[in-house]
Amino acid sequence: MKSEVFNGQRFWTYFKYDFKQMGRNHVKAAIGFGLAGLILYFLVVLFKLIFTGEWMGPSFNTRVGVFVIMCMALPFYYTRIYGYLTDKRKGSAYFMLPASTFEKWLSMMLLSLVLLPLLFLASSFLVDWLLCVIDPTMSDSILGSITDKTGMLRAELATLNETYETSWSIGTIGWPFLVSFLGNLLYFLLCGICFRRNKILGAIAVSIGITMLLSFVLSLFGETASFQADSMDDCFASKLKSLILWSGAISALIAAGLSAGIFYRLKTIKH
Amino acid sequence: MINIKNLSFSYGSKRVLDNISLELKGGNIYGLLGENGVGKTTLLTLLAGLKKPAVGTIDTDGRVPSDRQPSLLADQFYLPDEVAPVRSKACSFGLETGRLWPAYDHAKFLTILQELEVDKDQRMDSMSAGQLKKTWISFALACNVRHYFLDEPTNGLDIPSKAQFRKAITRHTAEDSCIVISTHQVRDLEEIIDPIIILDNESVLLNASLQKITEKLYFDYGTQLHPEALYLEHTPSGAIQVYPNTTGEESKVNLEALFNATHSHKDIIKSLFR
Repeated sequence: MKSEVFNGQRFWTYFKYDFKQMGRNHVKAAIGFGLAGLILYFLVVLFKLIFTGEWMGPSFNTRVGVFVIMCMALPFYYTRIYGYLTDKRKGSAYFMLPASTFEKWLSMMLLSLVLLPLLFLASSFLVDWLLCVIDPTMSDSILGSITDKTGMLRAELATLNETYETSWSIGTIGWPFLVSFLGNLLYFLLCGICFRRNKILGAIAVSIGITMLLSFVLSLFGETASFQADSMDDCFASKLKSLILWSGAISALIAAGLSAGIFYRLKTIKH
Repeated sequence: MINIKNLSFSYGSKRVLDNISLELKGGNIYGLLGENGVGKTTLLTLLAGLKKPAVGTIDTDGRVPSDRQPSLLADQFYLPDEVAPVRSKACSFGLETGRLWPAYDHAKFLTILQELEVDKDQRMDSMSAGQLKKTWISFALACNVRHYFLDEPTNGLDIPSKAQFRKAITRHTAEDSCIVISTHQVRDLEEIIDPIIILDNESVLLNASLQKITEKLYFDYGTQLHPEALYLEHTPSGAIQVYPNTTGEESKVNLEALFNATHSHKDIIKSLFR
């Protein structure tokens, strides 16, 4: 007898179905987000041709700026991905599909937290890299620059670790940012399946409310921390590391809470 | 079998269903009738598990619908009044979505689509409301489940499609299927629905098979008026009258007349069918 919570075969069947729906409805948008660099390229080239008469692609900083803006805009799109679940017709059809809530949730997590961000990153970097290869007026590609900077950072951290007997790595610094980014996606995903209308506005309003509440609570109980940035002594290094670890742990906790919230919402949503 | 015991449900402070108990057995096509807002759709969504009862229980073959267990979901189909458009061709929709129902039969889906005159290669998001509904009906029947909950399935269908729907539902469902159809279009379905459930505000006014209804009530289509009639409606050829069957004579049930008689004489009907 098949488990009512998780069955590998059933999950795989459902995942393929969900993947196709995602592909049909959102992959184009994720790739579109990534293609922002291409639009920027044509706009910059066009304007340069009109005003200076010379062919010139966008500068590295401009491209990074647009990439960062797209990274910041991507979470807003997450209110749409499963936002249809609050629609009576589409939501009813979704909840009547023969898969368990856990399987639907797991598929949602895999597609939203792995597939779509990867597609977005891949299309962004690929377009940027191709433009850099084709157009000699463009400087380094974003991906190439990240690879170079990662190598440099790794070397600097190794020196730092030798000098101060610390154990810093790119992972130590990077994972809190990654978890925080994923948490952000989860937050908008959750708001998308909670609010029936004005999903983005609702998400922003709740976010402002929570921030204000947290600021108020922290101002009552929080303690001001001060570090001397000019001296890298043991105490500072350990304090900074624990700060990063703590912020990462809190982000991970928030992300876990948000994904639990999404599961609970899937379990209890009514039509 | 579906067992509903002491079921109550409210929207905020407005109680829609109050202490309802019903037993829905396989091998029947139940007609769920009632005025607007009496809770027909609510009852269907409760049966499907899209809502959770505030009080009371629903037991479908030993499982609780609101738990939305995959084994039960694979054995039932809920067709809402308004169905969702899908961004794919009808044929692809059947192939992709049907895989989730273990007993889904794609050949049957295509056959029913053809019977209902729907183009399998047409995109569902460009279909008319009627075409879309027929596609979903075909899909529901091709899923080969035991429990069907159909909310106003003939709404939006043209006249030939209504007849095709009746044929499809009798031809393409298993004999032990339990089908619950909520409808206002009683004339569209009176040939296939039996037993009849009439919901009133909050409660069940009538739950009886057609045979039992004809045992208890007589439907007179003659011209001679009966003062004891519970319901009288003049027609071009005479009148339809409904009155208690004292002679045991059989008659053809007119669902509209039954519905109106039940509504105008709730207590008498309740006592007759107790």
